[in-house]
Formats: sequence, structure tokens, C-alpha cells
Amino acid sequence: MKGEISFARVKTLFRLDLKSRFGTTHKRGVKYRISQGMNALFFLAIYAVLILGMYFLTNIFVERSKMTLEFLTLISLATIVLASAIATGNIVKNLYQNGDNEMLLRFPVSGKEILLAKSIYCLLHNLVVCVLLMLPFYVTFGAVTKAPVGDYFSYIGVIILSSIVTFAIGNILAVPAVKLINIFKNKFVVVLVLTIILVCGIFVAYLLTLSQILTYLRDSKQDIFSPEMVEKYRAFFGGAYPFKWYAELVSGRRLGTLNAGGLALRFLYIFLMTAALSVAAYFITSRAYYRTILYGVASGKSTVSRKAKDKQMSVTRALLTKEFYLILRSFNYSFEYLAMACAAPIMVFFCNRLAATMGTDTVGGAIMPGITIMVIIIFITVTVSFASTCISREGNCFYMTKVMPVSFRSQVLAKFLLYSVVATISVVLTCLVTGIVYTSDAGEKALSAVDMAAIWGISEILVISLTSLSMAVDIKWPTFNVSGDGELVSANKNVAIMLVVGFFFAIAFGAVVMVTNFLPLKIGDWMVSSRGNLGNIYLMLTLVSLLLLAGSLSALFVNLDKRYNKIMW
Amino acid sequence: MLKVEHLKKIYPKSDRVAVDDISFELRPGEIFGFLGQNGAGKSTTIKCLTGILPFDSGTIEICGYDIVKEPIKAKMNMGYVPDNHSVYEKLTGREYVNFVADLYKVPTELRRKRIKEFAEKFKLEAAMDRQIAGYSHGMKQKICIMAALIHEPKLWVLDEPMMGLDPQSTAEIIAHMREHCAKGNTVFFSSHNLDLVKKLCHRVAIVNNGHLVDLFDLAGNEANKANLEEKFFRITGTYERRLFEDYAAQESEDMRPDLPAHDDDASLNGDKPAEE
Repeated sequence: MKGEISFARVKTLFRLDLKSRFGTTHKRGVKYRISQGMNALFFLAIYAVLILGMYFLTNIFVERSKMTLEFLTLISLATIVLASAIATGNIVKNLYQNGDNEMLLRFPVSGKEILLAKSIYCLLHNLVVCVLLMLPFYVTFGAVTKAPVGDYFSYIGVIILSSIVTFAIGNILAVPAVKLINIFKNKFVVVLVLTIILVCGIFVAYLLTLSQILTYLRDSKQDIFSPEMVEKYRAFFGGAYPFKWYAELVSGRRLGTLNAGGLALRFLYIFLMTAALSVAAYFITSRAYYRTILYGVASGKSTVSRKAKDKQMSVTRALLTKEFYLILRSFNYSFEYLAMACAAPIMVFFCNRLAATMGTDTVGGAIMPGITIMVIIIFITVTVSFASTCISREGNCFYMTKVMPVSFRSQVLAKFLLYSVVATISVVLTCLVTGIVYTSDAGEKALSAVDMAAIWGISEILVISLTSLSMAVDIKWPTFNVSGDGELVSANKNVAIMLVVGFFFAIAFGAVVMVTNFLPLKIGDWMVSSRGNLGNIYLMLTLVSLLLLAGSLSALFVNLDKRYNKIMW
Repeated sequence: MLKVEHLKKIYPKSDRVAVDDISFELRPGEIFGFLGQNGAGKSTTIKCLTGILPFDSGTIEICGYDIVKEPIKAKMNMGYVPDNHSVYEKLTGREYVNFVADLYKVPTELRRKRIKEFAEKFKLEAAMDRQIAGYSHGMKQKICIMAALIHEPKLWVLDEPMMGLDPQSTAEIIAHMREHCAKGNTVFFSSHNLDLVKKLCHRVAIVNNGHLVDLFDLAGNEANKANLEEKFFRITGTYERRLFEDYAAQESEDMRPDLPAHDDDASLNGDKPAEE
């Protein structure tokens, strides 16, 4: 690995890397531009919501609780930890899992040059992440506290310093992270369980935070932190070094906690810490990277090893097992489907709890059955939409489905069975959790047994309907756009179609139940519904669901062989 | 064994006829070569007869079963090896072969025997329980072949099977093709390797622009064997006297240029090159 570094080669490698990530600069069609524009708009909308959240958070800490320095320390801590995690992931992906050994074999370049080119990319990537992550916080903070223009320059300086330090931390953490990944890489069930715990944890934390923010919004006079809590925060953040240095660097002078000398000292601390971490990162990365790249040349990929039995199975069982393994052994697929299906009961429960709290506080308990059915259908849709890539996921192996001596109907039925069973288990658990809580005193008997039975029945019919509809859509418009490891490059338009359809039913069914529980519905002499008496409404929704079921089963199974045979590969 | 009659295929949204009125029949126990330039219609024909692509007109019968009317019975008698060696890479080699064996309803004892035999023959014993994602190109091709042969099909179809394979793997596949035919089965394969086709096939068909232009015996017909290249070049419309002569010369003679004279011989003999 010794030898002179040619910066021209580093530049070429860097450009090659950028080209492979972002494609060429060829002119794209109008459709592509529209979709890019829509993506940008969606991104901006999400960003706007986040900034709004940050604004309220800043208000809570700075204006109401007078914890300015503590809040800045919290921002530094949260953003540096998050940016370090992102940097670690990015470095692991780019330096240790990117098959750079092939580049080393194919091109007349040295390992040092590849490392340098990749590191430049990772550093720039990290800078962009830090700007996107930290700037809104600091700008919002500046706006709320009416900071002078000079402070905004210090925000930029802190962001640049943070990006270097997080890059160094990322480089150091990437090595143990890779080792950890290698340990768990082929332990699919462990990964799945950890993913479920992580998904549920993040979701619950998010909803609890949202709940607090909504409580604050609802009653802005209410103090969100008790005096004891304020003291605890002060004690904790008062000693939260080195994050406090960043906070003091940003506005220590304005807050009067530091003089010019103190400020210079804080800058020196940060500089020395960054330099020390960077040197450590250099030595660790250069050693680990060269070892990885040479190991890759010598040994290739490491994969799962499992001793299976040479034993005959029925065709249906063989198809089911194959489909299940393909999902379980792909991190993306098991996350999109199995993790979502397993996490749905917890997610629905917390979502329902939040919606119920907000809804009942504003319009009363009558809103509960409507909210419950809406939330459950939303989560059903998210889980079941995975079925809308059932054919596309076959990718380069699609020919197998045409060549095998098994009717297309049997193959589709096997997939349908797997997806329906998984989604059904998820829905049953969801309804059980929700039912047990909300039909008891703990849930203030917000739902009756009839409500829960009807909600379960309708949800179950929708599981089957949306599953068959999703599969029918993918048989009509499959896209075999797979990456090197045989997985779909990204979710296709079929997923988007199914999400729209599912959300439509969620909103429509939820709205009907909510409205009819408030406003009694009478047709002639017939009292269709009144408060707490939604039997007829549930019956109607069941009928609509059954119609949808009949339609979607027909869409999937009528002329299936003919339509399947037409799929081009 | 395989009977194709008046096969016609036009791809949707295309004016071009990919396969036009192709007819041929394969006999039991023969190796049949299918030749043509890139885009001539070889792969399309193969995809039609394996059931991958629907076709516009004509009939295809495998062991007497119509691929459209009785697709399951027809496919039961066939094994297919694609040109891109695509397999379910998340499965291990053994899981994949067992999955295919289940589809063809191969009994436990028989599959055990065959898997052991194939794994030994293709030197895959150590890799059988590893995920296919970690296999080399040749190993993937071998696992495809194992899966295609696990039910010992009467008709074995291979689309450009030797592409990108090392000499050992190529030799193993050729040996297996011969063995398969010796049992009274038929092998149908497409290839660009005229020399291999000449040595291996009993008969050969040449397609050009979707048409089957010629079909002739190679086994026992020395004249056809000798003229295979010229026929191929003439049929595919790429015949140019100079080009063909170059090709023929390359096939029959050493074409490597002479090395420039230098002192390597001396250094190989242990003498140091003279210092300047």
C-alpha cells in the first residue's frame, strides 16, 4: 500500500464514485422531472413540519423555562450523537461494505488513493448531513432568541467543527460497528427481533414526545417542566462536557456566562479534542481499511451457512418456505414486512392512545370507534402494501416462476396465503391489545365488545381485500428493477398506489364511524345509527368491505393464468 | 422429444417479428445445437419453448405435451439452464436444489442420491450449505445445472451454457451433456462457440433474423462439420472472404505474433542482463 498518492487519480476516483451514485447528466424526460419535483416538495413539507416542531421545542425551553444554555447543550448533544451515528453508518457502508477490492483489482490505483477518495466523499456527505440537521435548530434558536447577525456566523462555525468531529467519531466507531455487523449479519431472527424493538422504541418515543408537544400546544399556559425537573436538567446539562463547550461557543458571550478569554479557551478545547479524535481516526481507519480491502481480495464475500435436510416437501410448503426465507434473509424486506407486521399492535396502541387523548379532549369519547378503525386500517395498509411487490421481488429469478411445473394459480395462492396469514396474525394481535385496553376500566370503556368485534371483522376483510388487490396490481405492472444482491432497488409505484387506496378506505371508514356516532342518522322512520349504537353502520361497512373483497379477489384470480403468462421478463 | 411447429413471436409494442415460422423436431438421445448471431431469435425461441414467453402462433410439444394446453406435464419433462445463471441467492445451494426437487416431486431417497452425486461431480460438496450469494460465476452455473437435472428431465435446455465459464467447468458440463444423452435424453443448447458445436452436436440449426435458415446433421457428416463456419457466416450475412479466411486461419493455426528479439533468454538462463 506504500507509494506516492496521485491527486489526479484521487480526483478521478471521486468523480467516478459521484457518477455511480448520482447517475449521469443526460437529459431526463418530463415524467422524471415531475417526480423529482414532487420528491423535493415532499422533502420540503417534511422539513417544514420539523422546523415547526423545533420552534415549539425552542419556545418551551428558552422562553417558558428559561433554560437557554441547557437547551443549546441539548441541541449539541442530540445533533452530534445523531450525526455521529449517521457518519458511522455511512462510513461502514462506503469503506467496509462497498467491494472496493474490485476497484483495487480493476484499476491502476492504490489502496491509499481509494481511501482518500472515499473519505473525501464521506466528509462532504457528513458536512451536508450536519448542515441539514443542525442549521434548522440553530436558526430557529436564533430567531426565537432574537440573536444578532454575528451569532449566525458562530452557528456556521460550530456546524463545521461538529461535522469534523462527528466524521472522526464515525471513523473510530465504524470498526467495532463492522465487527458487530459481521457477528449478527447472518443471524436473521436476532436482527429481526432487534429491529422490531428498535422500531417500536423509536415510534413510542416519538409519539410520547408528540403527545407532550400537543399538550403544550393545547394549554400554552401550563408549565411543561416542574421546578424539580428544571433543576435536574440544569444539573445534568451543567456537566455535559464536551457538548456544553459547543453551546458556550455559540452564545456564551451573549448570555454573559463567558468573557473573551473563556471563549478562546472553549475554542481551544474543541480544537484539541477534534485534532486528537482525527489523529486517532486516521490511524484506526488506515489500518482497518487496508486489512478489509486485502481480506476482500483474498476471501470474497462471507455468507450464511445452514445445513438443510434433503427431504421432500409438498409443493405448497416448498413455495411458502422459499418465500419466507427470501423475506427473512433480506434486511430490507424483513424490516418492511415482518418487523412492521410484528410492531403494528404496539404502534396502533400508542397511535390510538394519542389520537384518543387529543380527540376525546376536544370532541368527546364518541370519536374512539372511528379513530380505532382508521388507525388499524392505516397500519394494515402499510403492512399489506408489501404484497404489491410480490412479483417484482422475483427480479432476475422471475423466469423460475414460468419454468416450474406448478400452475401460476398455485404459485400466487402460496404467496397470498403467506401474506394473508402474517397480516391476519398482526390484525388479531392489534385488535386484542386495543380491545383489552379500551373495553376495560383502564381504557375508560371507550369501546364496547361490539365495537371491537365489528372493527376486527372489517379489518380482517380488508386484510384479504388489500392483499389480493396489491398482488393483482403487481401482476399487472411488475418492475424487475433489482440491485446486485437481487433485491428491489426501491419501492415501486404499486406500493404508492396501494398506500393511496388503503389510506382512502382508512379515512373514509374512520370518518363514517366518527360522524355517525355524533350525529344520529335517520332514513324515514328507520333509525340507522345513534350515539353508542353503530350496529347498522358496522353492517354497512362490512358490506362495503365484502364488495371490495369480491372485487379484489376477482381482480386477482379471474383470468390469472392468462395475465401471468403475459408478464414479460 | 421436442416438436416446434410454425412458431411465431412478436414482442408487444414492436413491429419486428422476433421469431417467424420456426419448425424443427428433436430426437431422443441427440445433442442439438442452436446457432445464430446476437438478436437472431435463439433466446426468444428458447424462452417460448420453456414457457417463459407466450407466443403468437404455432405449437410446441415436449414429450407429446403441448406447452400451452398441458404446461405442467410439458414442464415436468424439461430442465432449463438460463444464460444469466439467476437463482435465489438468499438460499443455500442445498436449499435451492431441494426447492426445485420439491417442485418436480422428486422423492427423498432419489434426491439424496442425486444431490450427493452431482455435488461430488461438480466439486460443490463444501459449498452446498453456503448461501448462493457467495458463489462464483461458475458455481452459480453449476448449481443451476444441478437444479435443472435433479428430476432427470427427458429434455435439457441450456441457453449459452458455457458463457464465462473456466475450462474445467466447461469440460464438466460437456461431459454431463454426453452422459445425459447416453441415457436416451435430449439436450438442446444455444451457443456462439462453433468449434464446440461442431465437436459435440449431432445436429445443428442456424437462425437468422427470426427465421430458421438451415438445419443439418453433423454426426457422421464430415462435409457439414468442415463447412460449419462458412455456412454460419454465409447464412448470417456476415460472410466476407477476407474476414472468413482470417477466422479460419485463427482456428487452424497459431496466430500469435513473434516476440521482438531481446535478452530475456539470457536472463531466463540465469545470466544477468548487461548493464548500460
